[in-house]
Amino acid sequence: MNASFVLYMILNTLLVLALAPLFISLIKKVKAATQGRAGPPLLQTYATIVKLLKKEVVYSPNSSWIMRVTPYISMAAILVAALFVPLAFVPEEVGGIGNIILFLYLLALAKFFTALAGLDAGSSFGGMGSSREMSISAIIEPTTIIVFAALAFVFKTLSIFGMFSTSAGGFPAPTLILMGISLFIIIIVETSRIPVDNPETHLELTMIHEGMILEQSGRNLALMELSAAIKLTVLMALLINLLAPFGLATTLTAAGILLAAVLFLIKAGILAIIIGLFESSMSKMRFFRLPNLFAMAFFFSTLVIIIEVFS
Amino acid sequence: MSDAALLQEAIRVLFVVIIITAAYIISTRNLLSLVSAYALQSLTLVLIALSLWMIEGAPVLLAIAGISLITKTLVIPYFIANVQEKIRIKRDIEFHFLNPTTSLLLSMAIILVVYIALSHIMQGTEARESLFFFGAVLGISLMMMGMMVTFSRKRAITKVLGYLTMENGVLLFGLFVTELPFIIEFLIIIDLIILVILTTILTIGLDSTLEDYHKRLHRFHLVEETEEGP
Repeated sequence: MNASFVLYMILNTLLVLALAPLFISLIKKVKAATQGRAGPPLLQTYATIVKLLKKEVVYSPNSSWIMRVTPYISMAAILVAALFVPLAFVPEEVGGIGNIILFLYLLALAKFFTALAGLDAGSSFGGMGSSREMSISAIIEPTTIIVFAALAFVFKTLSIFGMFSTSAGGFPAPTLILMGISLFIIIIVETSRIPVDNPETHLELTMIHEGMILEQSGRNLALMELSAAIKLTVLMALLINLLAPFGLATTLTAAGILLAAVLFLIKAGILAIIIGLFESSMSKMRFFRLPNLFAMAFFFSTLVIIIEVFS
Repeated sequence: MSDAALLQEAIRVLFVVIIITAAYIISTRNLLSLVSAYALQSLTLVLIALSLWMIEGAPVLLAIAGISLITKTLVIPYFIANVQEKIRIKRDIEFHFLNPTTSLLLSMAIILVVYIALSHIMQGTEARESLFFFGAVLGISLMMMGMMVTFSRKRAITKVLGYLTMENGVLLFGLFVTELPFIIEFLIIIDLIILVILTTILTIGLDSTLEDYHKRLHRFHLVEETEEGP
């Protein structure tokens, strides 16, 4: 492990921690604007997380150690997964970091423990949230794997770093448009956004992600919220750096990384606005119609695989 | 020539747009966006024809682009959207045999089968390696997908959109493999327009009684006022 990789690890983690809450606020702001409300200020999510970090943690008497370790496991898994997706600077690959399969399993680990914690406190809301989350995961997970397999086919590598450096070197592939749609659907599903779940509410019977973290409080809740935000940022970075990689730094220079970070902020801001508009233009789908959405992602990515394999 | 390479790249992107619109037409339940998706698909075909014209320079391609632009992206969608507004159906949620998810999966299989079959047929010919091969695959697949829309939807108006998609597939296949004589292309388009008009009559009238049907025809000015009985 060389010095530039250590520097990359520090920089990437700091960048993702610093930017993640911003995009959550931005999406909320866009949604509020389409509904004619002013919406929360852009720094509101930071303030909420800081406030929650100061509060004490309350555990239900029924809860076990699962409840206590879940926020840390979730945060740790997502942060490690964030290392796999370079935001601004793509270093040389070291060890297994950047492997696409490991990346998926890290996300699945965080999701699994979140679902367990939802069941752990014994509240019926948490149980329903976990049950729904697992049903959706069981359907979306094969699709996710197919989408990532298609990416691996297109770029001929399993490493996300390798994909980014290929795409940054100018990779003309129209099939990437199809991949972009599939990845967008995965972002929507994985981060519990509107056609699948409603991130705004704690009060509906249909809530999924909010249902699972309903029993969390204090700094544990802050960790869960922050890890959800980081997951969104990481998935957005994956989409952006594959489809619009211009400006992505592949050599270690201060100016290049700064430019790449600013460009990433702009590109991710645009994507966040698109997600906000997409959410506003949709209503929540009926649970049993969700496979239709996933089938779309599945269709496009399988098509990409067919094209890549046979031509 | 880099210009031709650029155009070929553009055609590849347009292929992707066609796939996306086809998938959307198969799976959406919203009728208005169905018509817009069809119009977008036709516009993509026009652009493909234009790019091919810029590569090959055959004037018949330009004529096909022009006539498709007028009829398929302007007249037919406008007509169908108009009918839709009058019959006040916004959604098509009834499906025969296949629901949208199954249709999507099935169309994937169709594309795969067409791809393999055509690559066997064209084995060894020079067309196998080029853009034209993929255009042909997409054309036939689009035809099949349109057929699937036609038999899996219940409403007459969406059946027609399926048929129109099928015709787009024929046009795409024709653009890339066998150049159809222009007169045939023209006749097909006239057929399409007549079909759309006929459908209007069927869509408006089939679910009503005979007297009611007459009234509706008058309402949409489809027969002369003088025929009206006492």
